[in-house]
Amino acid sequence: MLLRVSGQVQGRTVDAGAVTTGESVGSGVRAGSELIAFAEAAVRDSDELPVARSGVAKALGEEALVDAAAIIGNFQRMVRIADGTGIPLDPPMAILSAGLRSELGIDAYGSAKNTPPTGMLNRLLGRILQPFLASFMKRFRPPTARISEPPSAT
Amino acid sequence: MRAFSYDGGLSIRSDIPTAHRAVWQQLAGPGTWWTGAERVAIADEVRRARDCSLCAERKQALSPASLEGEHDHRGQLPEAVVEAVHRLATDASRLTKTWLEKLSASGVPDGHYVELLGIVVGIVSIDEFHRALGLPLESLPAPEPGEPTQYRPDGLREGIAWVPMLVPAETGEAERDLFPGGRTANVVRAMSLVPDAVRMLQRLSSAHYLPLELVPSPGNSGGRALDRLQIELIAGRVSALNECFY
Repeated sequence: MLLRVSGQVQGRTVDAGAVTTGESVGSGVRAGSELIAFAEAAVRDSDELPVARSGVAKALGEEALVDAAAIIGNFQRMVRIADGTGIPLDPPMAILSAGLRSELGIDAYGSAKNTPPTGMLNRLLGRILQPFLASFMKRFRPPTARISEPPSAT
Repeated sequence: MRAFSYDGGLSIRSDIPTAHRAVWQQLAGPGTWWTGAERVAIADEVRRARDCSLCAERKQALSPASLEGEHDHRGQLPEAVVEAVHRLATDASRLTKTWLEKLSASGVPDGHYVELLGIVVGIVSIDEFHRALGLPLESLPAPEPGEPTQYRPDGLREGIAWVPMLVPAETGEAERDLFPGGRTANVVRAMSLVPDAVRMLQRLSSAHYLPLELVPSPGNSGGRALDRLQIELIAGRVSALNECFY
């Protein structure tokens, strides 16, 4: 969802299907193929990991490689928190993401049972509200939002 | 040698080792429901789960419940605790409420479970960061003495998830720092039965992903070397590979 919204905000076309298929992400994400290969090799703990690591470093540099590894670590954590506590999708997000989930086959995941099914009316509402996703996201933003400067390297 | 020194040549943002050291420090001491020794033993079991034969067989099975057996473990923790750690580490996407209820009946109450979950996910994420970069895993800290606080926050609400959670808008003074602005997503609330687990999560997320306040700003990459689209592409792919609906 955030991938698609980020694309909307930046006026770039992104194939969100890449997250479920791992296939081409189109031109919307720079070095998208290298990043996907790195994420897959890391999560699957495959022998391709050293090659995938070099691919990201070569395409985007060492700092980007470190950031990518950190994001992999982060989401290996977040998925377990969600699946380990059985949290449902937040209701507004469930409505807004209904179309995308259906399109990407995410509704078939086992943990989908933790979220009540989205009815026809709400699916329609979600479709109507799609263009306003970015504004909706701001509802979750605390009032102290600020732009961070990157910390220095060790 | 100082933990997480990262002096092997890679240039790593300073907030990452700072966050990792904070997790290690918290891990070593007594928690809310577990002692320092138990917490470190749980962390150690997370690492053993990767090579557990039963976990590997269950991962391949249509239903993990169809396979009985004993996990490969060190024998430091009760069986139910080992089961919780191994399943969370290796096959979390197929956990069910029934599984958790059974665990609770086997002597792992909700508070213990949530704190255990916090330890598991902390170790998984730091270790995965190291593996992704080809770095050796950090040695676990030596446990520190002391008794768990057994602190249970007021205002918990049942029925939203499998475990009770705080309601951001109704949170008392002691937990107000967990939900700046009085609103947040369920994934941030998920471990609020153990407030210190949420604090640890937020610290790690801020270093590994983005500070909480920047997450809902889809054009903002927080000054990272990756832009927001690249960040969300990785996030989405990792979640999909884990078949995470949330």
